[in-house]
Amino acid sequence: MKIVVCMKQTFDTEAKIAVDANGKINKQGVSLIMNPYDEFAVEEALKIKEKSSGEVTVVTVAGPEGQDALRQALAMGADKAVLVDPGMDEIDEFTTASILAKAISEMEYDVLLGGFRAIDDGSAQVAGRVAEILGIPVVNVVTKLEIADGKAVATSEIEGGSQTVEVALPAMFTAQKGLNEPRYPSMKGIMQAKKKPMEKKALGDLGLDAGQVAPKVKAISYFLPSARAAGKIIPGEPADAARDLVKALREEAKVV
Amino acid sequence: MSEPLMIFDEVRDVIVASGGEEIQKCMQCGLCAGSCPWGRMEEKSEFNVRELFHMGRLGYDGYESDDYLFACTTCNQCAVKCPRGIKIPNVVRSMRSVIAETGGIPKNLKAVLGSINSQGNPWSQEKDERTAWTNGLDVPEFTPDKEYLLYVCCTSAYDGRSQKVAKSIVQLLKAAGVSFGIIGNEEKCCGESVRKIGAEEEFGKLAEYNINLFNQKGVKKIITTSPHCLYTFKTEYPEFGGEYEVVHYSELFKQLVSEGKINLSKPVAQKVIYHEPCYLGRHSRVFEAPRELLGKVPELSFMDYKDNQDYSLCCSGGGARIWMETKAGQRFSDVKVKEASEAGAQVIATACPYCIVMLEDALKGQNKDEEMSVKDLSEILVESL
Amino acid sequence: MAKGIWVYVEQRDGKVKKVTYELLSGGRKIADALGEELCAVLPGKGVAGLAAELGEYGADKVFVLESDSLENYTTDGYANAVADLAKQNDPTAILMGCTVTGRDLAAQVAQKLGTGLMTDCTEMALENGQLVFTRPIYAGKAFVKASCPEARPAMATIRPNIIAIEKAAKSAEVVSAAANTGDIRQAVKDIALQISSRPELTEADIIVSGGRGMKGPENFAILEELADVLGAAVGASRAAVDAGWVTHSFQVGQTGKTVSPVVYIACGISGAIQHLAGMSTSKCIVAVNKDPEANIFKVADYGIVGDLFEVVPLLKEEFKKILA
Repeated sequence: MKIVVCMKQTFDTEAKIAVDANGKINKQGVSLIMNPYDEFAVEEALKIKEKSSGEVTVVTVAGPEGQDALRQALAMGADKAVLVDPGMDEIDEFTTASILAKAISEMEYDVLLGGFRAIDDGSAQVAGRVAEILGIPVVNVVTKLEIADGKAVATSEIEGGSQTVEVALPAMFTAQKGLNEPRYPSMKGIMQAKKKPMEKKALGDLGLDAGQVAPKVKAISYFLPSARAAGKIIPGEPADAARDLVKALREEAKVV
Repeated sequence: MSEPLMIFDEVRDVIVASGGEEIQKCMQCGLCAGSCPWGRMEEKSEFNVRELFHMGRLGYDGYESDDYLFACTTCNQCAVKCPRGIKIPNVVRSMRSVIAETGGIPKNLKAVLGSINSQGNPWSQEKDERTAWTNGLDVPEFTPDKEYLLYVCCTSAYDGRSQKVAKSIVQLLKAAGVSFGIIGNEEKCCGESVRKIGAEEEFGKLAEYNINLFNQKGVKKIITTSPHCLYTFKTEYPEFGGEYEVVHYSELFKQLVSEGKINLSKPVAQKVIYHEPCYLGRHSRVFEAPRELLGKVPELSFMDYKDNQDYSLCCSGGGARIWMETKAGQRFSDVKVKEASEAGAQVIATACPYCIVMLEDALKGQNKDEEMSVKDLSEILVESL
Repeated sequence: MAKGIWVYVEQRDGKVKKVTYELLSGGRKIADALGEELCAVLPGKGVAGLAAELGEYGADKVFVLESDSLENYTTDGYANAVADLAKQNDPTAILMGCTVTGRDLAAQVAQKLGTGLMTDCTEMALENGQLVFTRPIYAGKAFVKASCPEARPAMATIRPNIIAIEKAAKSAEVVSAAANTGDIRQAVKDIALQISSRPELTEADIIVSGGRGMKGPENFAILEELADVLGAAVGASRAAVDAGWVTHSFQVGQTGKTVSPVVYIACGISGAIQHLAGMSTSKCIVAVNKDPEANIFKVADYGIVGDLFEVVPLLKEEFKKILA
């Protein structure tokens, strides 16, 4: 079984987000982690491999710093890692998906996995696009996956419940929380990871040029939410306070 | 037949290279595990420090979890007993650092490190609000003419409960006429627990940043509110070129009381038991000052735990455990509260913000917060002013 | 030249989802400003009857894609049908609700059409004739304003409950179009709907959380009732977990789960530092506590000092009124 995982490195969940002098998101002084949903995908890939033997390859589109997250995947037990550095200033999901799909098209694969979204831009579309480009089916937000006899049975979330879907392989599955509990890299795994292959590629190595994968979506501006106002204690008898609070949440804070 | 265990020497080599060379001195006698608090809890834990050393040396798998490698509170009790004099917490730290480098640290600690990187504190609080605790208090700013920098631990800067400790210390310093000031929002976490997580890179950045800041401001002497800051400033910052005269506030107050600059005259008629912070006692060898100070408070009836000083039981908040969950039945702090209650104490006194957090949680968990309280030494001293 | 603002009609079992009406209301304004038609795209089986009512919310035209193979939502079936219709009609924009289905469908359609997609948008506007969308990134800690300047259609998924519904009393032209569902590779074996399923803590938009002030496990029922009105998850402080009232999986805080919902309602939680550190990035924090000195009020955006056993049921009734 050949398994390929699409992975992204993201800011950690506690990162303080700031806009820099150029109006872009400031990347200084932020810890980078493997996107937590992609950790589920890596873990699932390893579980499938352990059951049926095979090989797990992890692919990412990132600058050189992306190697850290790849190394984590290798230390967890993945066999190979591929990093494609697009070397472009601006990319979108179309760009990333086009690059990933091209890189994957050069590999053998039965199962593709990815997180159902990344915690940074949360756009939840790259994996689906990759599947579309490769001409394979996708099942999103998967919480249970069973692979047997060239088929997969996946349980995926739908509004208000879940459904069970069967697809023939190869297919793409995107991982939702609950699919599994990702393992920690073991000390031995870390040592072994150092000897595992990590390929670094540029667009040209994949026979692509920046024009072919140019973004469709352009960011106009980045901005931060307005600063938190001082807290308010809602006065009055309980009934009045409850009414005023709900009103404030709807009309002032606009959160319900 | 079960699978043979494969020895994997490279693991030992990398532990050694990460600062854990003493792992090679271990002779597996087991005195460490025998003295470890985890083994003394009602509910047994899988953590065994002797076995950890064994597995690390031979490169076995299976100890890299929240409840094993990251269970150690670095309380240093084992090191006191070790016949080979191995600084065991150091080896644990170096083993963690190998894992940390690859992003495999416990989930909860990732958020802590993220907060440290972004905000300079482990509590996910705004860096610009580090001095919020000083509101309504006239706390002097540190300038080169001041004798001491008062470095307030992140916990006492941000935690509402712990802010009272920072305020008490300021009140005492002022009463004694000490020349001191704070730097405030520019400061970052001292990094003691960060290093214990194994996050060497982050620790190095914090140390370099703070040293640079202290030097720029002309700091020569530092008073710490927390034993953890004391330990790292004193024993770890010199590696990075930061040499300061560092004291825990209890050491300074002991001197000020003996010089008559702090006058403890008001009676505090309570039964007080002293919980020894590991990083003040075992790690920094400050045993006498807190006891002597409590002894000088009129009408205060002082008690020690049965196991004290080098043998005192940790609160379980060190080594980054304060940010991790411990199952009921395995919490050292619960035992401390139980023992204090059995001894008839009304107050558990301590001198570390982490210990306060852990002990207060335990007090509430056992519904003993109405009969007993947890106080910082400085708060008791203020009552006696 | 591309023409028409399209809205995907999300329906299940013959019932149109509210977000569809929201998109039609918002889409109507855009279509008017551009002088284009507002079209609803309605795939399904036996759904033709729903077409008429879509006009009431502003649709000029409704494309009905009827097919037996569209009885249940499948990624391939729906994406093929919608993309095929779009290829034939070349719309300016396609809007979908940011729901589980909308998200799934939008990515596939966008790639089939080789266009750009902005997801989870919270604002939609016309600037210099260009459709511009605003979307939260980094879990709402920042926003990006973006557009799809060249590729057509511009696609977006919009969060539910963002756009106010306005009726427009149009009578829509109903067009039956061929539903080209292609080869459907996802075979739906089973659908399990839960009557009341609360979201996972870390995924929830709203969390109702209880602490030591809840006084006992039986009292969590009032939080659960409030949570069900809000579609919220239920959380707890360490003190409540330690007391054995709820299990550790409910615990919010550094030693439990770090959460960042849109609204966090803390009931009877004093606000220990580990708890605060685990939820302080919530967008809006509400605290109900007897003790006016409780730490939780220092981070709360709104607070009520009072008895939670009185206040929480009242809140439930008030929320019921506005969410009805």
